[in-house]
Amino acid sequence: MYESIITVTGLTVELGGNPVLTGTRLAVAAGEIVAVVGPNGSGKSTLLRCLAGLQPAGEGTIEVFGAAPSDEGPFWRRVALLADEPAWYPGLTAREHLELMSAVHTGPSRLTVEDALDVFDLRSRADAPPLNLSTGQRQRLALAATLLRPSDLLLLDEPERGLDAAFRERLAGLLDAYAAEGGTVVMATHDPLLAAHGRQVSPATGGVPA
Amino acid sequence: MRPAEADGGARPVKEVRAFIASRGRAPASLLDRYVAGFGLVMGAAVVGRPIASLLGGLAGATDPSRAGAGTALVLLACAGYLALARAAGPVSVSGGDASWLLLSPLDRRGVLARPARLLLAVAVAAGLLLGLGLAAVLGAPDHLVWRLLAALVVGVSATLGGMALAVLAQASASWQSWVTAGVAVLVVLALVAASGQARPALSAAAHAPPAVLGAAAGAAALACGLLVRRALAALGRIPARALLAASTRAGHVATAAVRLDPGALTWIAEDNHWRARRLRSRRWPSLPGPLALAWQDWLRLARRPGRLALVAGAAALPAVLAQAGAVSATAALGMVGVLAGALAAASSGTAGARRDGDNPSLARLTGVGRGPALAARALLPALLAAAWAAAAFAGLALTGTLPATSWLWGPAVAPALAAGALRMARRGPVDHSMPIIDTPGGAIPTGPLFWALTGLDVALIGCLPAVAALLGGRMGDGSLMAAQALAGVAVLAAYVLRARRAR
Repeated sequence: MYESIITVTGLTVELGGNPVLTGTRLAVAAGEIVAVVGPNGSGKSTLLRCLAGLQPAGEGTIEVFGAAPSDEGPFWRRVALLADEPAWYPGLTAREHLELMSAVHTGPSRLTVEDALDVFDLRSRADAPPLNLSTGQRQRLALAATLLRPSDLLLLDEPERGLDAAFRERLAGLLDAYAAEGGTVVMATHDPLLAAHGRQVSPATGGVPA
Repeated sequence: MRPAEADGGARPVKEVRAFIASRGRAPASLLDRYVAGFGLVMGAAVVGRPIASLLGGLAGATDPSRAGAGTALVLLACAGYLALARAAGPVSVSGGDASWLLLSPLDRRGVLARPARLLLAVAVAAGLLLGLGLAAVLGAPDHLVWRLLAALVVGVSATLGGMALAVLAQASASWQSWVTAGVAVLVVLALVAASGQARPALSAAAHAPPAVLGAAAGAAALACGLLVRRALAALGRIPARALLAASTRAGHVATAAVRLDPGALTWIAEDNHWRARRLRSRRWPSLPGPLALAWQDWLRLARRPGRLALVAGAAALPAVLAQAGAVSATAALGMVGVLAGALAAASSGTAGARRDGDNPSLARLTGVGRGPALAARALLPALLAAAWAAAAFAGLALTGTLPATSWLWGPAVAPALAAGALRMARRGPVDHSMPIIDTPGGAIPTGPLFWALTGLDVALIGCLPAVAALLGGRMGDGSLMAAQALAGVAVLAAYVLRARRAR
């Protein structure tokens, strides 16, 4: 029995007088992986920001977990968003960022910090400040922090950014495992391999299958 | 041989600069000249009066205990100048020159002539100020003109020699330790002077006959001349990477200044610091969610013991200033300075709130609500403000400026200052869309003004009882102190509750 996690109907968003989304609709069930695909400027990131409650809808309704998304603590305890690279806390190492993430969440973490360091290939750089990591390593650290914490919904904006081909494949497996545990994934991506792991939708065509 | 090589490459640099200038921005208009002239006149008017009164007050011997504290301040200023000169580069070129002229076959010394002239002007101006300060703290029982001249020569020699030392350190690593040693010696001398141990030496210097003064000034000028000569010779040998690093820093500073976003400056310094550090991960303590999030600020502070020591040491400054005669019980400005210092100390523990204010991605990932996060993050700044203000007030009490129980004001003002520091940390960038007020002296943009006042407003409102006690000379008043403690806690609670709803 599928429960609807996200319901979007007739979503219209204008940015600077330029219509980015027009009449987009989307329904996502629990345990589903949805890949939002489309050319640059087709509104993928805007759709994700709307789902995260960071971009108000011009018209239409957005419901996440049966309510309008809000930029508040209780919402973020269920939803994990990874968009642009986060600003790392000054003076903390890569490992400490992961420890912080597992320390602030009361529920059991999905991964231990040690496992996360292994899975995301960061053990050798665990004591480095994130700014000293390469672009791809920083993206892996951000993904590790996102996937380590407990959550019911993952919103990922181009998670493949900076990752090598081998790790992209591993990421696809990690997202499959997340969905198999009952989690829901909505990601904007340009990577055909990642997109193939989910139901593909395009905001440009109003949210119908791409 | 091509002409460029025949004359050492000096002419091509001139030609290149002339070429750039001919295609650059339009020459200064009449309005530009008016604004620059007006600025100079205003500057002279502002600076002229204190300098004139300072010179007028020079005649006569000063109190020996004041001379010690004053000399300590002059030495500390000199150490700060040297440290700043090294941190700045000191030789750096503009972004355009760094991209197009530095990594080219042009003569490096020619490219660097312009920044070198700028450094010279900076050093001479700083030296004159330092010399004036030195003359003021030592006093002139006789031969006023000669003593003033000798102090100015010593001051300019110190800053010019210091700048030359910093340039040499930029050119070769072996000079780096000389700069470090110079700063360390100045700080130690300042401590000795502040402790009163150097009183006989200072008294001897203040009463030295003109011949000795001339010899001292001559020796200083000679040492400075030797250093400057070596620095000029080393100018062409400064490695490009050192220049590029310094220029990137200066470029960031200039960009931040042009955009009027001082917040960007501190992140550059902060990120550069951690990039260069080797860290060892520590286990995160198991604390409730918001406190676990706030632990980051404690860890960051513990990892910068040098900065912590600097902040702690600065708590002694009000007492030294009071000893030097700059602060008296009625000098409200100095007292408000203690509150400002405590606010600065509190601000050194708000990096987490600042980062989450600039970019809330990590805060969203942690899922901790804004209110609880802010309440947990207020602990460290409140503690820092309480400790700093208590130490500063206790120091002032030791010098006899304030009653002995004054240190209790520290914990009383701390919550309000923590609220102010957090508000400062979470303020957004400058709002340049705010109106500009035109005055005869130039336009005053209200955006930066409001930006600068954000944070100070809350701190000031929360510290009103303390300010009233300071201004009225009622530091021993228990009821005012109780009112301050209540006001501080109320302001902090109100700030946290309000932030729970909106940024």
